[in-house]
Amino acid sequence: MKKHKLVSYAKWGYIFIAPFFVIYIIFQLVPLLSTFYYSFFENYRDGLTTIGPNFVGLDNYITLFTPGTDGTINIVTYFVNTIIMWILGAVPQLLFSLLLAVIYTSERLRIKGQGFFKTVMYMPNLIMAAAFAMLFFMLFSKIGPVNQILYGGNTEKAFDFFANTWGARGIIAGINFLMWFGNTTILLMAGIMGIDQSLFEAASIDGATSWQVFYKITLPLLKPIMVYVAITSLIGGLQMFDVPQVIGTSLGSPNRSTMTMIMYLNNYLGTSKNYGMAGALSVIIFIITGILSVIVYKTMATDNSGKPKKAKKGA
Amino acid sequence: MMKKKILAAILASVMVLSMAGCNQEQSGGGSNDDTTAGTNAPANNGGGDASEEGKVLNIWCWNEDFKNYFEAYYTVPEGITVKWTVNTNDDGVYQQKLDEAILNQSSTADDEKIDMFLAEADYIKKYACSDATAALSYTPSSDIYSYTLGAATDVRNNQLKGVSFQAAPSLVIYRRSIAKDVLGTDDPDEVQSLLDTWDKFDAVAADAKAKGYIMTGCVEETLRCYTNNAKTSFLSDSNELQIPDEFRTWVTQAKNYVDNGYTLTCGRWADEKSAQMGKDGKVMCFFGPAWYYNFCMGTAMDEANGDWAVCVGPQEHFWGGTWLLKSASTDNETLVEDIMKAFTEDETVISQLWEKNSEFSCNRAIMEKYANDETYGNEFLNGQNDAAIMAECAKNITWDPALHTQYDQIFQETLPGRMLEYFKGEPATEEEAWSNFYKDLDEKAPAITHP
Repeated sequence: MKKHKLVSYAKWGYIFIAPFFVIYIIFQLVPLLSTFYYSFFENYRDGLTTIGPNFVGLDNYITLFTPGTDGTINIVTYFVNTIIMWILGAVPQLLFSLLLAVIYTSERLRIKGQGFFKTVMYMPNLIMAAAFAMLFFMLFSKIGPVNQILYGGNTEKAFDFFANTWGARGIIAGINFLMWFGNTTILLMAGIMGIDQSLFEAASIDGATSWQVFYKITLPLLKPIMVYVAITSLIGGLQMFDVPQVIGTSLGSPNRSTMTMIMYLNNYLGTSKNYGMAGALSVIIFIITGILSVIVYKTMATDNSGKPKKAKKGA
Repeated sequence: MMKKKILAAILASVMVLSMAGCNQEQSGGGSNDDTTAGTNAPANNGGGDASEEGKVLNIWCWNEDFKNYFEAYYTVPEGITVKWTVNTNDDGVYQQKLDEAILNQSSTADDEKIDMFLAEADYIKKYACSDATAALSYTPSSDIYSYTLGAATDVRNNQLKGVSFQAAPSLVIYRRSIAKDVLGTDDPDEVQSLLDTWDKFDAVAADAKAKGYIMTGCVEETLRCYTNNAKTSFLSDSNELQIPDEFRTWVTQAKNYVDNGYTLTCGRWADEKSAQMGKDGKVMCFFGPAWYYNFCMGTAMDEANGDWAVCVGPQEHFWGGTWLLKSASTDNETLVEDIMKAFTEDETVISQLWEKNSEFSCNRAIMEKYANDETYGNEFLNGQNDAAIMAECAKNITWDPALHTQYDQIFQETLPGRMLEYFKGEPATEEEAWSNFYKDLDEKAPAITHP
């Protein structure tokens, strides 16, 4: 009788988690595997004619890594573009969010109206990225307010931010920074508040300075959350699409310098519906994301002994 | 225990049902971004035997223009519902969605099948010369400008697949006050005589610059003069990219204009160009057909109405045209052809289109009535008879199918976009701009070979 009940509970457990696995298999695993499969085929559309699918082995991968007429390999260039724009946005964002999180959780400062500030900081994230990008496109345009302030409406002198590699990249990074720092701050605040308060009290009794408390207590104990933030930000960064698509007017302007890997993928899936090349490119992006996540995890989640943090947690 | 089981069963079934719901929604049109349906009041002009045809008329288009005209000027027979599917033209979205739908017509329900769709000059060849469109069962009036019919003709068997309700001869739209200052006259005939060759045009550009004006509104203004008059196509017979000399001339001219400050360094649709149409505008010439000043020069109409005039300029050319194509999958053949006739041959409809919407019709006989009417004048152009100039221009426009490709939108939009980047300074050389364009071709049209 008792045994029967136990089995019955386990069954319910499985039933309740089943929807996740069913949805995962249908919408994630099957498409993932079929992407691998399609990457070995020539399959695209020319006008209203569909060409393929013809099995071509590794040809799509070879094409991806063949240098163009200008001697560069597209996928490498776009990977570098993506990483540059991610670093420009993510590093300042992480530092700024950390600062804000420490200030807001400080027992000494006891800032009032936290709920209000948290809401305001999170606000940009509620706006659609494309709309946000469109707003900046207007702000920084040659006849926009920024140029009005800088050059007083003199269109001839006005600086064309979107025709300059670093201007365009900087604006894209800035938008991503503004959109995501609130989210990161809230995550880091939750992480800091999860740290045992008695540690901070003990430190202040021992006469530790604020910097020492931050560097010796907050930061080491915040590492798991930092790893989480870094990995999600990295994966989000590699999938950067909507903001540069608007800012670079879908050409990756100027000079394809704001073209990200996903924009490249999107170009293959546009008019030409090139499932073969898009599949191969997706596989490469999948591999890159995997490798980078492992690197971030290994470098951030280890302490001096070289063992992953989680393994030591119980000790 | 029993309650829990029931609850679990309900939750599970809700989950399954909601998934089934999603699937059903997806199996429908799927790609319809903006679908609106409306049933119309009784008909007066639904000729032919339409009673045995489908009850839903599906029309695909890329903006609201034709839809608005249709609703204003055409009365749909009783019992017919018109369903519009509108997808933006930006980045070729309209074509992508349309292609997807066309390729799936065989598995679509009769009332969902496309009956008629609209196409532009830059990609009409793809549809007119394919099995996605069906031949018209009537012969259009001989008054229709022949180039508009040439564009909708299937070159494989010489069948006519549709008609364009617009003819779009494009003109130089110049600002009278600036022309007076620079040329000493604002009379269209005199201005035309001062702008009728590229050498004269370039010289005037220099004069305008010296007086603090800007000759053209963007680098692409003059583009269609060159591409419409090109003697070769962008593609060889073996689908190899070949750049017409005329296009290279445009690049040289545009670069020269940018370097000398004769033009704003921007694209066709840039805000900075529209800003120059206002009361303090410094730009002398914009290039465009009748629909351009009606739809894209709102600022000019509000702030500088009457300060404009049109002339042919250095080279006759056209820009746009909206073709109505009969879909091969239609079950409303009579109705589709009746709509085509109404918008290309019905004098009441065409007159209203011209008088209220500045849509220059493809019907030569009716447009020439305006051209020869001495009492007719356009207020925006300070009373000038623009129909006269357009009618003259439209007669000379030709359509040689050998000069057009199904990829023309890439050559008319993406390629100039790459050149504009070069004019703006990044990339630094024309060669790099070309190599960026070759990459666009690899991505968008893998069938084309290039250097």
